[in-house]
Amino acid sequence: MGEEPQSPQGPHRSPAILVTDLHEVFRIYKERPPSLKERLYRFRRAEYTEFHALDGVNVRIDQGESVGLIGRNGSGKSTLLKCMARILPADQGRVETSGRVATLLELGAGFQQDLSGRENIYLNGSILGLSRKQIDAAFDAIVDFAGVRDFLDTAIRNYSSGMYVRLGFAIAVHVDPDILLVDEVLSVGDVAFQERSLARMRSFKERGKTVVLVSHDLGAVRSLCDRAIVLDHGRVTFDGEVEQAITFYNRLMRTRGRFTPAVATPANPSGDGRARIGELRFDVPGHDLAEPVPSGAKATLDVEVIAVDDLVGHGSLAVGVALRRPDLPSPVYETRTSWQAQYVAPPPPNASLRVRFDFEFNVLTGTYLVDVLLGNAETDEVHEHRLSALEVVVHGAQYEVGVAPLGVQMSIDNPDGVWPAPADG
Amino acid sequence: MEWAALILGRAMAIAPAKLGELWESRELLTNLVGKELKLRYKSSVLGFLWSLLTPLLMTGVFTVVFAIFLRIPLGEGNFATFFLAGYLVWTFFSNSVNSSVGAIVGNGALVKKVYFPREVLPLSLVLSQAVHFLLALLATSPLFLYYRGFHPELLPAIALGLVLLVGFTAGVSMLFAAVNVSFRDLQELTQVLFLAWFYSTPVIYPLIFLSEGTARYFLPLVLANPLTWYVEFFHQVLYGIPAIQGANPLPTWPDLRTWAVCAVWAAVALTAGYTLFHRRAVSFAKEV
Repeated sequence: MGEEPQSPQGPHRSPAILVTDLHEVFRIYKERPPSLKERLYRFRRAEYTEFHALDGVNVRIDQGESVGLIGRNGSGKSTLLKCMARILPADQGRVETSGRVATLLELGAGFQQDLSGRENIYLNGSILGLSRKQIDAAFDAIVDFAGVRDFLDTAIRNYSSGMYVRLGFAIAVHVDPDILLVDEVLSVGDVAFQERSLARMRSFKERGKTVVLVSHDLGAVRSLCDRAIVLDHGRVTFDGEVEQAITFYNRLMRTRGRFTPAVATPANPSGDGRARIGELRFDVPGHDLAEPVPSGAKATLDVEVIAVDDLVGHGSLAVGVALRRPDLPSPVYETRTSWQAQYVAPPPPNASLRVRFDFEFNVLTGTYLVDVLLGNAETDEVHEHRLSALEVVVHGAQYEVGVAPLGVQMSIDNPDGVWPAPADG
Repeated sequence: MEWAALILGRAMAIAPAKLGELWESRELLTNLVGKELKLRYKSSVLGFLWSLLTPLLMTGVFTVVFAIFLRIPLGEGNFATFFLAGYLVWTFFSNSVNSSVGAIVGNGALVKKVYFPREVLPLSLVLSQAVHFLLALLATSPLFLYYRGFHPELLPAIALGLVLLVGFTAGVSMLFAAVNVSFRDLQELTQVLFLAWFYSTPVIYPLIFLSEGTARYFLPLVLANPLTWYVEFFHQVLYGIPAIQGANPLPTWPDLRTWAVCAVWAAVALTAGYTLFHRRAVSFAKEV
């Protein structure tokens, strides 16, 4: 990976993004945030460990290419995108871009709760780099796309979470850059919403713009990108055709196998404690919890979230659950309020809120562990990550093995006759 | 002076590109200033009236305490307008810096997700405070007109003085905003700092008080305080020259020394504040 990489399309096109030997190092402080008092008091620098998020990355992306960045959590793909967007500085090496760059890392970044939809369109548009004229021109399209015409003069705080995300998306897609950098944001919302966002990105691509997409959604990468880069431990481990990249990535996931929580940072596996998970109430109506739960049973999990610090105004909280089986490398199921585009306003310090998860144990016999995660939906901070918060034993059909009850029916066509099974199994 | 040359050299090297970028972000800056003003006036019943009421109420309280109880001698002058002239300057400065301290940390989510020139965050706060300053000045102008007379020839001096004051304040605000990213408890510290700063600025007492007695030992300290000079500037253009006995001369064009010191401090603060801010700004997204 030492030489400057050539794009598969050949070297004759001019590069839109050129990343040369990029290193990015994060300092993880033992106590956050470092304080002036401590510094004067103890007369020493705060202690920290270094984390190499990017370790010598070389990437060349040509104009008109659409490239997917894939990799496991903590592989450095989002960091690379932020470096391309100039949000993060290069600690070593260079990032050069040519043309106007727009970044979609979060829908509705900078929305002001107390301002109206109309005012927020102008404010958010200018944060994303649109001029007043451009917003004027796109205003009706934005309003119709988001479907908020009747609520234009209502404060955003009264918007439903769906409206909030749609408005953020509508503004974001009307930024018309030469290079579009997208991180996961478009994976929120319902299927129709995702379809619309993909269609919009495809039209970007058709107009010869450069698109870089960070996503866990391999389907989106497959349908949008003509090239994919796999990152692992801050290095480019594969760069080329999408299908090959996905095969490579899947192999990587299998070999390195252990389930890694989606947003836990290496320095902070259990969270920063700015908010905490209070009481967890698990219930399977009609069943004694001391007994194994029958496969397909409906269950509820009530999660109490208690704010420790004042997080009001720091963006939405994200509460997530993951169901895993200790013998399997990846989780059986995982979801999060933020993935379902649910806005969870942080409560004031010491106040609490409850999030209820209703689900069905459509899994086969085995012992399952439930992890509960509390974090910030917009930054990657983890407030608390409670691993193995619950242990649930599930009893499924006797002769089926694995995770998912696929309800296989068997019929045997054997001209030589069917032997009956022994009566006692 | 070597460090000064170094800072200046650095500032000159980065200024053209950075100022160009700032110019391109002028609409963002305007929108952010608009946001600040709207938020402030939307959430209060009295709205813009606060711009009028706060300085007037403060003037009332301070006048009762200092002119009536403590009998600060101003000859035939008028304590209320004397206080108000300095207090408007002080309020603008302290509100700007105190709100800017948390400008980067408080907008952490935004700083981490979108690239834009970071200086628009503190600058928008300073500019919105400048709007409040102008509104408050307008609202209290009848008092000045009644007690100190109408001096239209001084309007250019008031405007230029405000430009210098905004420049100085912007520099200090950027400095505080940048330092607070690394040291979060600066926010607490500013409270105490600003209390001491208020009393070492001639707002409730005229500078001539420090020319005799034990007080004169404190004169160098007060003169070393840059804000003293901006307050003196506005005393001269809005109030006149305070005197302990007899008539207080009416508003006048500020003397050359005041002009010069204000201009120099504005340049120093802007250069130092902007240079430090710019140097730290690249890594804000990493630290907030």
